[in-house]
Amino acid sequence: MARLILTFNKQVIKEYPFLKDSVTIGREDDNTIVIANLAVSGYHARIDKTGNDFIVTDLQSTNGSFVNNKKVVTQKLSHGDNILIGKHIILFVASEKKIQRDAKSGKIDLGKTMMLDTVKQKELLKKQKTPPKAVRAPEKIGVVSFIDGSSLGDIVLRKKLTKIGKADTSEIKLSGVFMGATAATISRRPAGYTIAYAGGITKLKVNGETVRDSVLLKDFDTIELGSYKFQFYGKEVKR
Amino acid sequence: MRIKASGITDVGLKREDNEDSYSKEDSLGLYVVADGMGGHLAGEVASRVAVEMINKSVRKWLEEEAREDELFGPPDNSLTLIGNYILSSIRMANRVVYEMALGHEEYHGMGTTVVILYVTPSLIIAANVGDSRIYMVRDGHLERLSKDHTIVSEQVEMGTMTEEEATTSPLRHILTKNLGSSETLEPDIFEIEPSDKDRLVLCSDGLTDLVSDDEIFEMTQKNKDPSNLCRKLVDTVLQRGAHDNATIVSVFLSGIKTGRGGPINKMGSLLADFVTGIRKVIRI
Repeated sequence: MARLILTFNKQVIKEYPFLKDSVTIGREDDNTIVIANLAVSGYHARIDKTGNDFIVTDLQSTNGSFVNNKKVVTQKLSHGDNILIGKHIILFVASEKKIQRDAKSGKIDLGKTMMLDTVKQKELLKKQKTPPKAVRAPEKIGVVSFIDGSSLGDIVLRKKLTKIGKADTSEIKLSGVFMGATAATISRRPAGYTIAYAGGITKLKVNGETVRDSVLLKDFDTIELGSYKFQFYGKEVKR
Repeated sequence: MRIKASGITDVGLKREDNEDSYSKEDSLGLYVVADGMGGHLAGEVASRVAVEMINKSVRKWLEEEAREDELFGPPDNSLTLIGNYILSSIRMANRVVYEMALGHEEYHGMGTTVVILYVTPSLIIAANVGDSRIYMVRDGHLERLSKDHTIVSEQVEMGTMTEEEATTSPLRHILTKNLGSSETLEPDIFEIEPSDKDRLVLCSDGLTDLVSDDEIFEMTQKNKDPSNLCRKLVDTVLQRGAHDNATIVSVFLSGIKTGRGGPINKMGSLLADFVTGIRKVIRI
């Protein structure tokens, strides 16, 4: 079923399911959607259901009706249209079936990038079975835990790019004649933490395999650099 | 380090205006693509202003060698100083576009995506807001260096939607973040070490809507020249209907010296293995 969502200052005031063939909007009490605001005319606009379409008509209001910021006399509504009446915005939400049908027949331009304003966001989030925020996976931060008796202990990877090597500028400083100034780097990337061999004679091994390029790290992968040995894991942190 | 870069933008076959903007500054190693949105010409304004602001502020801070406390907003300690330049430039561009949108009725509701690539011989920085992307081809693999800020990609991350469902979902173009629609903005920024022969592609969704990651990977590997690659990608978009503006900037790196490889290194690593072995034995 199609719905109209009345909002003011990006706050949802009330939701109106489209129950009748015609809905009126205005200041007078006998409108379907009553907006008690001086910017709104007594009988400001009407929305009619004609077949599968919904059409908004301005009832010669003083301040006019606007669809997506464009002044209209009469206009067919599309899913997601904003109808501006005075200072209130009414969001038109088509029925689920209609959205799917229009998407298939190409009537809704799904290629168009849309901004998600507060109202639409609420609307879309409400459609989720569970609100995404509640089930969002906790953020994880990478930790390397030295298991070689080098007394380096656990090191949290606080940087986007962690350099490991002999150089003083390394976030994790390791010694050794053959250790590279930067022997390896661990970078936090969209796919996760990735370790890369960077230089020096000392080999980089992950789970016993020599790494010449880079490899995406999984929890409890064992990393070796010369006589150093450490494990990687993701630690949950509060967002 | 040598950089060869090329950029192209095409209005496509369905839209009247091109709301995308891009910049290519080889001298700085700074590349930006932005995909604007908003009525009339507002989308075009938003993307152009964002690209200009980011270029101007990053250039200024680099020249002045600005300190972290001279930037816009609190520094992010997980980033390098230049990473913070990029972060601040995005925050600043966001504030400018946001205030323009508030102050002018014709710009009301405008915004833009943005992807930024910054390359030096020792560092690659990738930053993004929205659904424009940065791809990197390295060692025969394609990797994304950007995170889509869309409802569907968040759902994919949460595991409530598959990648496949995401590409056809009616919600796939709804952004959860964009530059210009709120007073503050925190982009995603990644920093990685460069590697010789890295190839990077920045693009708006006009490309990624019609060309798959696998195809982008294949074409990026095949084309020897960044301008050929841009042309080839745009031609593919046009052949497939080009329902949106498409913008592509490709950046090919070469001559990056790393400590990798080399015969001395190989000899040395044999010796290193030997020494490591002895050290392990001694410890036991």
